[in-house]
Amino acid sequence: MFDFIAYPLANLILLLYAGLGSTVGAIAVLTLIINLAMLPLTLSQQRSARKMQELQPEMEKLKKKYGKDQERLSQETMKLYKGKGINPAGGCLPLLIQMPIWFGLINAIRYCIPSGPLETFQFSQHIGELIPSLALQIPVLVGLVPLQSTFLGMDLGQPPNMIQWWSYALPLLVGLTSWLQQKLLSPSTPSSSASSDGPPSQTELMTKQMQIMMPLMFMMFTLNYATGLSIYFIISSLIRIVQYYLIRNGRQEDADTKKRVAKKRT
Amino acid sequence: MKLSRLLRWPILLIVLAILLASTSGCVCGGTPRASSWTGLTLQDGRIYAADLQQVRVLGTDGELIQSIPQDPEDNTAGLIYIAPSVGEDYVIIAGQLAPRGFLAQATYPIVKLDLETGKELWRFEGARGQYIEGGAVADGLFVIGNSDKNVYALDMDTGDLAWQFETGHRVWATPLIVGDTVYIGSMDNHLYARRLSDGEELWKFAAPGGGAFASTPALQDGALYIGTFGNRVYAIDADDGTEIWRFPEEPGKNWFWGSPLIDGDAVYAVDVKGAVYKLDTGTGEEIWRGQLAPKNNDKDAPVRGGPALTEDGSTLLISSENGTLYALDVDDGSEMWTEEGEGKGYVTPVVNGDIVYQALIQGPYRIRALEITDDGDELWVYPLPEESETGE
Repeated sequence: MFDFIAYPLANLILLLYAGLGSTVGAIAVLTLIINLAMLPLTLSQQRSARKMQELQPEMEKLKKKYGKDQERLSQETMKLYKGKGINPAGGCLPLLIQMPIWFGLINAIRYCIPSGPLETFQFSQHIGELIPSLALQIPVLVGLVPLQSTFLGMDLGQPPNMIQWWSYALPLLVGLTSWLQQKLLSPSTPSSSASSDGPPSQTELMTKQMQIMMPLMFMMFTLNYATGLSIYFIISSLIRIVQYYLIRNGRQEDADTKKRVAKKRT
Repeated sequence: MKLSRLLRWPILLIVLAILLASTSGCVCGGTPRASSWTGLTLQDGRIYAADLQQVRVLGTDGELIQSIPQDPEDNTAGLIYIAPSVGEDYVIIAGQLAPRGFLAQATYPIVKLDLETGKELWRFEGARGQYIEGGAVADGLFVIGNSDKNVYALDMDTGDLAWQFETGHRVWATPLIVGDTVYIGSMDNHLYARRLSDGEELWKFAAPGGGAFASTPALQDGALYIGTFGNRVYAIDADDGTEIWRFPEEPGKNWFWGSPLIDGDAVYAVDVKGAVYKLDTGTGEEIWRGQLAPKNNDKDAPVRGGPALTEDGSTLLISSENGTLYALDVDDGSEMWTEEGEGKGYVTPVVNGDIVYQALIQGPYRIRALEITDDGDELWVYPLPEESETGE
């Protein structure tokens, strides 16, 4: 179903492997490339999160005013978001767009480090074709399959298993890094402040659910698929965490500069 | 605010994920999906073919003689794909048993069964990966490669492990045993020669520029002929593992997966995109090359298995993935006849006199018999469409 994505991705992994000589290295660089391509979306997600954070005092006011009437509170909250041009579900968009990439990547890893012959044969008809419609073959890629599959004693082409029990560390790391990423990138909600009272709002609930459900979902994925996929998720989360800190530090510096300029003027 | 509305996004994401996972072929317990092809063995006028949990034993007229084990519910070796190894009074099968319970692992047994009664004689469960191709029997040992990177040699009487050796990658090829030497290819780009009696390494050949070995070599006059995923066919000295010749000199564009066929001074090889080559055994020089023409509405004619030759040596028989059986003239590679089939053909056809047997999967039947001398006229299929229970 996702082979239109899987074949180019698999060939890209082969191309990177040809340059780097390492399967994990190839997956890591591919992750970086995908994340760079997704940068506009993730930046907009982070901007949206920041705006929601900035609305915190106004949210707090709304909560105090309509805390007992949930229906009204939600309506007013939505009105506030609309007024500021924020889509509270905007955080889900990058995830939804990435889904076909994940599933394409699952197949791509399966093609590069095959565990069965049928998928290998299927890929043999597309190997070396980085851009399928051009039917241009890169001959050097053709002899690379299967890629070296062992990493830290684990088989990157197989799901975690009890024989290589330490391979279960990867889905756990996926869950942990993904939770951390979710926590950092999700907007702080009024309930996180000590002063808030009353039941949590729709946004709070949604944010909390996302913080728990998404890492769990990623963990479940990586338990069932080749461990090579875990490498993608872990590196992907780490990239976003680093990205978050870089942007935050950049904003902090801007704010400091503005303060200094203002001080000088006065 | 209603709960259903609050949970809308997370639930939508999860449902979508599960849906996509299921369409991507995720195996989350239960019966493993079909992941290989049906092996076919012809011995003493009987056809032995893996068929999910059983081996079907057919007469050359397509009549079912017996199923081993008799009851598929016995699930003796789980799902069987490899060609069974058959002796006078035994059959050896290897399969995959589905995991039972949370975090449980699939097991991969090799089972020797009494040919007449189906009684289990021994089983070996030491391997940790799938068996892709069958094993070979010689001098009281059964030798087989496994996806866990190992080659196992088992005592034919007891099933005890005689020796094993680990290669650098999965082993998908059936070994070739000649005298006291086992030749077996690995996906680690090496062809190994090991002593049959104790598994000691005699030599190993690395494909220059890479290329996995996934097929059985053909042997003639002290030379081994084998294709690789490095897009070449090699002739290798069977005594010391040195290269005699390679074809083509510059790596080609497509894998050679099926075993080459040797007949006199000619080597016949087919690549995965259906290009057929006739080479000189001594020099590797190309005598002719042909290309299988796609039939029906197919865009191409992919080929996984190797070519087979009619007993009179006049016709090459090749099964394409899309189920068509091609008959080519050995003199110039021209098409003599073709017969389209239903299902997918991944294995080398088997010739018996004037009849050729083709194994197919994912179609209404598993095996069909064609009359070679009558332009591939279909004689029978097994099972008959109304008897077919599965399209695996």
